[in-house]
Amino acid sequence: MSEEKKDAKEISIEEKGNNAEQISKEFKEHSVAEFFKKNMQMLGLTGKIKAMTTIVHEYVTNSLDACEEAKILPDIEVQINELGNEHYEIISKDNGPGLTNETVGKAFGKLLAGTKFHRMMQMRGQQGIGCSGATMLSQITTGRPTKVITGTETGKAISVEITIDPKKNEPKLANLTELKKEFKGTAVKSQFKGVKYVNSEQAPLEYLRRTAIANPHAQITFIDPSGVKTVFERTSKIIPKKPLEMKSHPRGITIDEIITLSKRTKARKVNSFLKEELDRMGDKAVQDLTKMVSFDLNKDPKQLEWDEAEEIVKGFQKIDFIAPRTDGLRPIGEERIKKSILSIVTPEFLEVNTRKPQVYAGGFPFQIEVGVAWGGGAGKTVSNAEKDEEGRAVRKIEIMRFANNAPLLFDSGGCAITKAVQSIEWKRYGIRDAENVAMTVFVNMVSVHIPYTSAGKQAISDEDKIMEEMRLALMDVGRKIYRYVGFKKREEEKQKKRKLFNKYATEVAIAVSELTGKPMKPIEQKLLEIIIKRLKIEEAKDAKEQAKWENVSEEEIEKEYEKTKEKEVKAKKKKKTKVKNKGDEE
Amino acid sequence: MTEKISKRDKQVMKSLEDVGHEIFKQIQKGDNPTYELPVRNLNNVFFDEKSKTIKLGDKKSERQFINVAHSRKFMQTMLVAAEINKVIRESATVSIRDLYYALKHTIADTNENTFEEQGESDPIIEDIEASVNLLREELHLSASSKGVIAGNMKIKDGKDTIDLTKMGSGGWGVPSNVEPDRIEIKDLKAEYILFIEKDAVWKRFNEDNFWKKNNCIIITGRGQPSRAERRLTQRLHKEFNLPVYALMDADPWGMYIYSVIKQGSISLSYSEESLATPATKFIGLTTQDVETYKIPKEVTIKLNQGDVKRLNEMKNYPWFKKKEWQNEFDNMKKKNYKLELEALSRKGIRYITETYLPKKMKEEDFLP
Repeated sequence: MSEEKKDAKEISIEEKGNNAEQISKEFKEHSVAEFFKKNMQMLGLTGKIKAMTTIVHEYVTNSLDACEEAKILPDIEVQINELGNEHYEIISKDNGPGLTNETVGKAFGKLLAGTKFHRMMQMRGQQGIGCSGATMLSQITTGRPTKVITGTETGKAISVEITIDPKKNEPKLANLTELKKEFKGTAVKSQFKGVKYVNSEQAPLEYLRRTAIANPHAQITFIDPSGVKTVFERTSKIIPKKPLEMKSHPRGITIDEIITLSKRTKARKVNSFLKEELDRMGDKAVQDLTKMVSFDLNKDPKQLEWDEAEEIVKGFQKIDFIAPRTDGLRPIGEERIKKSILSIVTPEFLEVNTRKPQVYAGGFPFQIEVGVAWGGGAGKTVSNAEKDEEGRAVRKIEIMRFANNAPLLFDSGGCAITKAVQSIEWKRYGIRDAENVAMTVFVNMVSVHIPYTSAGKQAISDEDKIMEEMRLALMDVGRKIYRYVGFKKREEEKQKKRKLFNKYATEVAIAVSELTGKPMKPIEQKLLEIIIKRLKIEEAKDAKEQAKWENVSEEEIEKEYEKTKEKEVKAKKKKKTKVKNKGDEE
Repeated sequence: MTEKISKRDKQVMKSLEDVGHEIFKQIQKGDNPTYELPVRNLNNVFFDEKSKTIKLGDKKSERQFINVAHSRKFMQTMLVAAEINKVIRESATVSIRDLYYALKHTIADTNENTFEEQGESDPIIEDIEASVNLLREELHLSASSKGVIAGNMKIKDGKDTIDLTKMGSGGWGVPSNVEPDRIEIKDLKAEYILFIEKDAVWKRFNEDNFWKKNNCIIITGRGQPSRAERRLTQRLHKEFNLPVYALMDADPWGMYIYSVIKQGSISLSYSEESLATPATKFIGLTTQDVETYKIPKEVTIKLNQGDVKRLNEMKNYPWFKKKEWQNEFDNMKKKNYKLELEALSRKGIRYITETYLPKKMKEEDFLP
């Protein structure tokens, strides 16, 4: 649709005057397209590089979800072709269950069509607005439809071109043809302008690499604009269990959610509605709540007013509830993370830790998983990196952030994961310069509700409980790394020392023999014996030192954490007073 | 060589061999081979009021074979000791550069050399000199000497007799070994020794026949003097009772060279008793001279940060505690300039030899 026409339409609304019914209708007609345009940023579609990654994210997430649902091991192939300056074609193909004539339009041609809003469930695709968003972006930047080929197990494969009618938010299907060839799965091809492919840490390749790590059951192939093909092999043949949808916990619910739920419920009274729809809501809680609210809880939930819902939410904060159920969470799991990181990152050493589920802000179950890969292919190389003694580029620390198994590539600075990793005293774990070390830190947070810092959904907010869990997990893994790194370093040092002393032993023996007239060989022999003896003494000392570490308990680590937190708070206060003083001076 | 080894040489060799035997004993016992040597830094030197020279204190440090930081130096120390022993046994004398090359080789199965540069072997030689308490000459080693001398005296060097009044424009090059058994001083008629910092200035004095006109000896170490020039100066002073006057730039470096001639240096503190000449007096330049001799300001040079730092350090040395010196340091800092001997040329090419120095001598305008 051209801009001109749209403007004309808007003007025509004004001309029609203030008929309330009319406005409401027009508003609905305009809402989706307008919403889309005004909220490109929130949808992850601003920024030429970010838009490209977001589109890939939408297609791949769709494929992963569909395969998971249908219990199929996903085979996904993404190809990006450069057609012109900031003009690309993206092709994404999977072996999923495929779509029917009826569902294909909804999947690619209706914005906000998914059921992903208002669900207390661990969901992969909380960012972006799905494949239809990509269809929309393609349509408004190139004026072209998105071409989809899809085939289900039973029916034949179809080819169809999809656009979105922005007024009605309805798909428009064109050139629908049945294919003669058999095909099962979904392939989508669309064009975009104003996007850009670069090979950076925030580009599709890195996005897919991380997606592969978090989804070890998926086989992901990527072909970049220069034709280079990268395959991330499947490392697990087990399809992960679906996360369970959970009822909202009273401590985690919002007024808006109560209103939404109250419209859908079959319950006739507010009290039974709350008991049915919310987790851990028993008779005792209802009794307590009755005393706190100004209205009768026997009223029809469909009649529930905003103010009344607000009273309920306020009341919940004063009632003791059992912590929410956590059994609906589905972390990736230690074994699976291990396999995929070993295969994709190829580190020298790897430790992972999936913590037990916890609850933050009283009402949201969550679970933290970390993996720290050290040496070998771990870490990242940066352009114009310094070179080490052997001329290899010095690798830097790489932090991989995930929320519900989906990679977070943007806004890393404000993210709890980045903060947690940076707050660890890596020195204590034998890693002297954590910034410049070949190390990949993987952190995944799974939750029914990820607390993002902003609508862009690329950074997790640093809630105390979340930070604590991340830190504990990292520290636990850190200790295991220390054992390995420390042992390796000591071994290396010992070898180095032995080599150094051995190197000089012969020279010393010759000189002493020259000065004393005694035969050289026995002196040399004796010197070599002394070297071995001395190094053994040092080794025993090291072993003692290490034993100390082995005996540190988790509680002691926790204490340590409390201490550092106190220190941080103190430091912050100090800083504040300093700033204040400075202000005074000025 | 069939030359018979002298008794003195035998003693020297024994001290070196003792070092070897001590290490050998430690190795036999299975101990970490350790060589004890005197500490040669500012923390272990003192100004001996009696001899008026810098002397080495009795702090010792250990150089261990099984110690990552020491191992290479330990190996080098053993190599140098063994090589010196060999040189003496063969009745040869070698330069410290010869010694460096004689010992430099690639260690088997490595790409590392025993010594990478002469800067590594020279301090080891000094370590050994200090630890066995012997002079470099006694170890049959010679440093390259660079100084020249001229004046009314004769030198007997082996079978040759050299008349230092007939040395032309270049002067006689001071050999590295000026010990009495090698160099004999004869027919000395001079009345004092003028020790000049710079070669260019020495040439001016030589060209102007200063030594002939003023009946003195002129010597230079061409900057920081090596041992030979200092040892020869000490001998001239001790054996003929000649006063010594130092003519240096008016800057921290010049003052430092003067102090080395007079009291000795920290790194050679173990042998300063035979090198330093405590009776030396500082004849110039001083910052006071700028006013006394009306030297134009434009030939002075502004002090830099390093100069000020050096001045402050020297101010604290015990041998610079005399009032006159403290005044000179303060004056230089206050005026914030230094000047070179050549700056006097501004007043005429021969001003330094014909006016400045004669006047200084006459008025006995010295710093102690």
